[in-house]
Amino acid sequence: MKLSMTAFSLFLTLAFSANSQAALSNDEFKIGISQEFENFNPLIATMSATSYMYSLVGRALVTLDADGKWVPQLAKSIPSMENGGAKFATVNGKKTVVATWEIIPAAKWSDGKPVVCEDFKLARTIADSPNVSVGDKETYTQIEKVDWDPKSPQKCTFTYDKARWDFYQLARTYPLPSHLETAVFAQYGAQKEGYEKNTLYAKTPTADGLFNGPYKIAEVKLGSHVTFVPNQYFYGPQPKIKKIIVKLIPNTGTLEANLRSGTIDTVSSLGFSFDQALAFDKKVKSESLPYKVEFKPSLTYEHIDLNMENPTLKDIKVRKALVYSLNREDLVKALFEGRQQVALHHMATIDPWYTADPKVITIYNYNKREASRLLDEAGWKMNDKDNYRYKDGKKLSLQFMTTAGNKTRETVQTYLQGQWKAVGIEVVIKNEPARVFFGETTKKRKYGAMAMYAWVSSPESNPKSTFHTASIPSDKNGYSGQNQMGWSNKTVDKLVESLETEFDAKKRTEIAHQIAKIYTDDVPVIPLYYRSDIAVPPLALKHFRLTGHQYAETNEAELWDLTK
Amino acid sequence: MTTYIIRRLIQTVVVIVLLSYVCFSLMTLMPGDPVELMIQSNPKITSEDVARLRTLYGLDQPSYVRYFNWVKTIAAGDLGYSRTYRIPVSELMGPKLLNTFYLSLASLLLSILISVPLGIYSALHPGSKADNAVNFFAFAGISVPSFWLAIMLILTFSVYYKIFPAGGTFTIGIDENQSWDYFWDRSKYLVLPTVSLSYQSIGRFLRFTRSAMLEAMRNDYIRTAKAKGLSYTRVIWGHGFRNALIPLITILALSFSSLFSGAVITETVFAYQGVGKLVYDSIIGNDFNVAMVSFIISVAMVLLFNLIADILYGVVDPRISYK
Repeated sequence: MKLSMTAFSLFLTLAFSANSQAALSNDEFKIGISQEFENFNPLIATMSATSYMYSLVGRALVTLDADGKWVPQLAKSIPSMENGGAKFATVNGKKTVVATWEIIPAAKWSDGKPVVCEDFKLARTIADSPNVSVGDKETYTQIEKVDWDPKSPQKCTFTYDKARWDFYQLARTYPLPSHLETAVFAQYGAQKEGYEKNTLYAKTPTADGLFNGPYKIAEVKLGSHVTFVPNQYFYGPQPKIKKIIVKLIPNTGTLEANLRSGTIDTVSSLGFSFDQALAFDKKVKSESLPYKVEFKPSLTYEHIDLNMENPTLKDIKVRKALVYSLNREDLVKALFEGRQQVALHHMATIDPWYTADPKVITIYNYNKREASRLLDEAGWKMNDKDNYRYKDGKKLSLQFMTTAGNKTRETVQTYLQGQWKAVGIEVVIKNEPARVFFGETTKKRKYGAMAMYAWVSSPESNPKSTFHTASIPSDKNGYSGQNQMGWSNKTVDKLVESLETEFDAKKRTEIAHQIAKIYTDDVPVIPLYYRSDIAVPPLALKHFRLTGHQYAETNEAELWDLTK
Repeated sequence: MTTYIIRRLIQTVVVIVLLSYVCFSLMTLMPGDPVELMIQSNPKITSEDVARLRTLYGLDQPSYVRYFNWVKTIAAGDLGYSRTYRIPVSELMGPKLLNTFYLSLASLLLSILISVPLGIYSALHPGSKADNAVNFFAFAGISVPSFWLAIMLILTFSVYYKIFPAGGTFTIGIDENQSWDYFWDRSKYLVLPTVSLSYQSIGRFLRFTRSAMLEAMRNDYIRTAKAKGLSYTRVIWGHGFRNALIPLITILALSFSSLFSGAVITETVFAYQGVGKLVYDSIIGNDFNVAMVSFIISVAMVLLFNLIADILYGVVDPRISYK
């Protein structure tokens, strides 16, 4: 038995110590992802993996770069009130914004045709069609009208639906090649889902003219891989890497083996789970492997929603006690080796509105004594016999739910359960498969007391859909709101509404801070930590930058370089 | 016989229709729908978007209306449209079904080729060292979790020895028209998944063959055959094996019926483009059209191979008649 165990250990050591990264060059670069992708029509695609790959082939007017700054892509510059590129206007008696977007003359589709204003108009028209299933229609319909002078087809005047300060944040508003897709929409647009079934992105995704980014698609095999080759008409510097293959490896457990066997050269930000990355990082160091495991704090906010209708949680003292009794610093050190940051509120550290100023927000440092005092004040007295708290003969017991099978969340859950037990709170864990948890329980606010999951936002994002009273999911609104806590605060409602139309950046920050103050005071949610994005690029890869937000590292793929 | 087959085929169609309705209704009862999944990935989707998309997808209709709409589409020869991958189901499933068929067939043939001779040999030498070794091999096959075996195969033959690719279906960029090179390339990618998938079924088939053969060889007619002076080969193959075939046909027919069902774990671990993972994802993602088509294929295959098994019973055992 001992012999076989030794042999087995030896085998594993040998197996894992083998590394065969072939000499990397700019000829070919293979990226591993673990998530599925769909067809590449940017209006219709909803999957993260498709967005990740779309940045290789398609660009928008602007994007958010790896430093979290808005930068122009297809646009010459970003219009603003200050530079005169945008102005207020009254259209049909409604105050709105009109902005001039100038497309860079070199911007071309992969068949050499220029990117023009008509391409944006077509995208907006298709998105507005009742027969096309565009998820977030407002991304396009916020632009009410696209006008241009026929003599200057690349100088577009966008008239917005209302006066919104974030009018320039059009990173997801992609143009469609009107010289190709207009005919498709004309023929099939009147049929239900006719356009999406017949778009050239689905029918002939390798056809020239569909993309305007640094690469174009040479081959697509859904469920397997996509091959990209340089687009000779790209407006920017020609990509250095001559072929990029994005390969789907659905089992994250075998990503490492695929990396070591040379099947892939890198693991993308849609690959390793956090614990796998931590383990691989140790191997990289101990075995001097030619990779770098990169961690970057992201906008994904892991938190616990408190059900505001729960009779126990209606008492703010209990909610505060729940936060005070958690040592979150200790949690991220113990479980994540300090590679993920403790969350103070809903805004992530890379958000320009982020603040950790105790004068601005309420900060809850671990304080067991304060937690006990608050619980005592709330009438929950410790029973020395079982070390749990009781009030009117009722035990202080809270149900705690999350997604079953998510190893990280289940570990965190157990850790927190122990910390709450230390102050006399019984926490009863009840987990459900993600489909039931999100599809029924949180959506309809059927969780007993606490629900742990994550929100993904973007920098300077208005939390209206998660904080406004009107966003409390109910039968009336088709359970579409994200305020799953059931938090209703009239001041917050007014603040999130005013945030939408506040054009003064300084005042916006102030409003965001006021919201954060009420949020931290009222404790409808227990902030836990901000997740980190992870990628494993080879050491030889230059100019690779993780972003930490939804506009992936592929937005700078033309700069990637594998020459020594 | 012909009447029997026609009757069974009619029954098959009725069962498929009934089960498809039950399955469709159960799927609509599951929490969440395709729009729900879009909301999760995009918090900017508004309640207006939700209402618009539900109407567009017909999700605001009662389940029986949706079922009849689906039947109408299928009857018109259109398998529908995958809401997850945004392409027609036929384009999505066709190549994957074929890949699954190659993998399942290779695995089944390998399993039969190894397990039947070993099972017979083992049954003819009960208690011998060879029998013990075969039994150990069979139990190991039944007990070893397939994902563990798959990972070990990858580590050994891809990471360490680099003989076979770690995952995939074929080499990206290979010319599919170069038939021999393409065949050779596909075969290389099939080896590890086939071995991984076969090991469990080898164990199972081996145990079945061994016990069926042992049982058959204990019967009086074997003793009679031997007493008549028949050759050893004739006793074994003509009398023993033929009688042992009936239980084997049952299990083999059921195995053949899963030729197009896919092997979720094996396909996922080896990143093999089969239909197993597609079906799993379509059920989880409420991609009704994909899930329903795969369901129909699975049910039809089970019923068809059961019918084949029933016919084969009569072929191997003349005492069975169809009236």
